[in-house]
Amino acid sequence: MLAVGLMGGAPGLWPAPHAHTPWAIGVQDVSRYFGAKRALHRVSLTVRGGEVHALLGPNGAGKTTLLRILAGLTRPTIGSVRLMGHDVAAGNPLTHRLIGVVPAGDRSFYFRLSGQENLIFFARLHGLLQRDAVARSREVLGGVGLLDAAHLQVAKYSHGMQKRLSVARALLMDPPVLLVDEATHDLDPEGAGRVRELVRAAAGRGAAVIWATQRIDEIRGFADTVTLLYQGEARFTGTVPQLMAYSIPRTYLLRVRNGGLPVHTLATALAQAIGSRGVITADAGGDPEHWVLSLADGVALGDAIVALAGAQFQVLACQEARSQIEEAFLRLTREDTI
Amino acid sequence: MNAAVPVARRAGVLQEFGKLGAFLRRDLLIAWSYRSAFLSDLVALIAQAVLFYFVGLMVDPTKMPQYGGTRTSYMAFVVVGIAITSLLNVGVGRMIAVLRNEQLMGTLESLFLTPTRPTTIQLGLVLFDLVHIPIRMAAILALSVVVFGVEFRPAGLLPATAIVAVFIPFVWGLAATSAAAVLVFRRVTGLLGLGALALTVASGTYFPLDLLPGSLRWSGRFNPVAIALTGVRAALIGGVGWEHLGPQILLLAPMSAATLAAGVYTFRLALEKERRAGTLGIY
Repeated sequence: MLAVGLMGGAPGLWPAPHAHTPWAIGVQDVSRYFGAKRALHRVSLTVRGGEVHALLGPNGAGKTTLLRILAGLTRPTIGSVRLMGHDVAAGNPLTHRLIGVVPAGDRSFYFRLSGQENLIFFARLHGLLQRDAVARSREVLGGVGLLDAAHLQVAKYSHGMQKRLSVARALLMDPPVLLVDEATHDLDPEGAGRVRELVRAAAGRGAAVIWATQRIDEIRGFADTVTLLYQGEARFTGTVPQLMAYSIPRTYLLRVRNGGLPVHTLATALAQAIGSRGVITADAGGDPEHWVLSLADGVALGDAIVALAGAQFQVLACQEARSQIEEAFLRLTREDTI
Repeated sequence: MNAAVPVARRAGVLQEFGKLGAFLRRDLLIAWSYRSAFLSDLVALIAQAVLFYFVGLMVDPTKMPQYGGTRTSYMAFVVVGIAITSLLNVGVGRMIAVLRNEQLMGTLESLFLTPTRPTTIQLGLVLFDLVHIPIRMAAILALSVVVFGVEFRPAGLLPATAIVAVFIPFVWGLAATSAAAVLVFRRVTGLLGLGALALTVASGTYFPLDLLPGSLRWSGRFNPVAIALTGVRAALIGGVGWEHLGPQILLLAPMSAATLAAGVYTFRLALEKERRAGTLGIY
């Protein structure tokens, strides 16, 4: 596993963590077995206040299990989990004062009640008086843009509205730790962007966020740090740029033109121009201007472009076939040991 | 010892108490959203009273037991029986139903994600019923007095209330045990329903215990439901005072305390087991 130091924390708005634990979230050597099945194996990570930490991994990687352990809903088989220095596994319900959770599913609200009544109920379970619970509920509903739907039954909310309500509930007490599980996996791009903005704003106010996702592209420009989980193991922990640096893009989509050559000879001419620098094949769309270039090991993209230009090809466009994060993801999850 | 600790503990208890109000409000709003259910419950209540009135007409009054020298009518006998066993139903039937409902709706985990004590959650889930059922009990008693001419002794109200108060921890203990069973085994309605039925049959709710065969009649003497029923009937129908009810309360109190302690302990064990297994949210 790669272990890379994490970024510095934001100013804390919350109860000071124990002196010996500067992290808001600390997971150390956590393993979890369900019978013989291994869900997590010796996972460690730390997250500071103000930091968005992405938990990236395919289905079954162990993301939800880790979040459930952090939320105190599941006990780790071995290892320790501390939130603001307090041991979660000790089973003290008061550690729930420290967390806000956005679950993956929709079924966590009372559908016969309005959005506002749901929030009032949960705010009161957090210890607010009725009057304060009403005021706070309206405040967070406004924050997530649901004030107009405050009195509408949750059953009549759209999927995106329910997700925003879920974020609102997690933010009710402005918790120092926010756990978000696959919040955007079935939202449209606008809805997903809105949820990310809300969570990013919470981090801006000092919350430590763990954001579990299998959507590779959404972590760029959003998450500060990332843990890549695969089959229960942390294959990488570090910052997003560090993850991207781990990838070396090898496949590019090219748009090339050579007006002097007949279409049926293009493939041969391109292959000759690239030579041992890589392999160039027609794009699946069959368009004579679009090609896929896979570079050989050690060959720089620039060398290939120069070779094409030297053979009288005009390179009109060039882009990575996969994002750098996706490349890193595939590379890290393909290899048995890192 | 730090003087702030008891103060903080008291504040914590008050805060937990305040959360019960939130459960009550939630369930009232949900019940109100099903307005027709209110009406149908009222109709069912009246129909039940009418049914037992006509059944009572067939019963030979000389076969009915005496309380404080007063021979009871079947109507008075059974109305008190129904009132007390409806309380028992909150402990077993309703607790199973509401907890199962929370599991199926997916809201159970949301509750356990709040800083609320498991006991508060447990009580909160059936609090609406605990308020609703006594109102229903009072309504059925009032209906039997006003419409069917049943006579109750006003002097027996206070002793009857005391017996019910001592009986409630027993019901609560059963509720906690039922909740534990739902958490661990999920579908338990059949098994626990049979248990509740056995308790009811051996309690003399619908017929005097004397009609049961010898061994069952004997076991009824140690059935907390039967003890509570006999006490409340003696108070309300026979006007029996504290001097006669005292021994029954003394017999009932340790049974209630033991059931409550066992129930709370079992629920904690069940909750911890589910957390260890990671199956709390599974239904």
